[in-house]
Amino acid sequence: MKQRILMIAAASIFLLGIIGSLTVLLSPKKSTVNIISDGKVLYTIDLESSEDRTLVIPFGDSSNTVEIRDGRIRVAEAECPDKTCVRMGWLRSSSMPVVCLPNRLIIEFADGGDPPVDALTE
Amino acid sequence: MKAKRLAILAALTAASLIIFIVELQIPNPFPIPGIKLGLANIITVYAVYRFKPYEVALIVVTRLLLGSIFSGNIAALIYSASGALLCLGGMLLLKNIIDERHLWLASVFGALLHNTGQMAAALLVTQTPGLLAYYPFLIVSACLSGAFTGLCAQIVVKRVRG
Repeated sequence: MKQRILMIAAASIFLLGIIGSLTVLLSPKKSTVNIISDGKVLYTIDLESSEDRTLVIPFGDSSNTVEIRDGRIRVAEAECPDKTCVRMGWLRSSSMPVVCLPNRLIIEFADGGDPPVDALTE
Repeated sequence: MKAKRLAILAALTAASLIIFIVELQIPNPFPIPGIKLGLANIITVYAVYRFKPYEVALIVVTRLLLGSIFSGNIAALIYSASGALLCLGGMLLLKNIIDERHLWLASVFGALLHNTGQMAAALLVTQTPGLLAYYPFLIVSACLSGAFTGLCAQIVVKRVRG
């Protein structure tokens, strides 16, 4: 009896996971990105107005190279062992950031998606 | 602990380390941190059903430490350790409810707990709630890989007696 309940629980968790994954994949992209290293926002960039460039973001002895091209952003090179962040490719979904866990680097779309209000008010 | 017992535990640990290192060489098609088959957990699941809790803990902790040294990814130890320990605790409890014929189910829950622990550690370390977006993918992958490693372990439990 208990096993049956657990089995149903596992099946519903699996379904919830699939629904959640689809929601994340289908959420729209935004134009403003934050580059966060070790919990601090290093750069806030508006992709649509930014020119093509590369940024090197150091963390301890190692570093990540972030590339901005044609209004898109990705990690081009990483000195971490697994290179997951490089293989994730361009930042696509507003709810799925590109991360490098060993170097504690996160690239994500900023909240709101509208032009940053701070730039106007400052 | 008797020498024979110790030797069996050491052999199991060595086997799971070898599986772990062989799996590292297989390219991972999913570019999401934390998603993998986790074949080494076949040994863990088998041990949960055949050995005493502290013996399983010995195998898992040794595998974690040596595995992170051999793979050269010591920075990832905090994620894998928090996942593995949560998974171990959960499975030792589930063992009392789930019998051997439904071992794969225990393995699915173990994998879910493993990824939950990893996610919690990653959230604490990076302080970025945005990481939660990965969680649904981790759940789907945990269900599939957990069921697979669980079925493998079930075969092992059935074949290896004593």
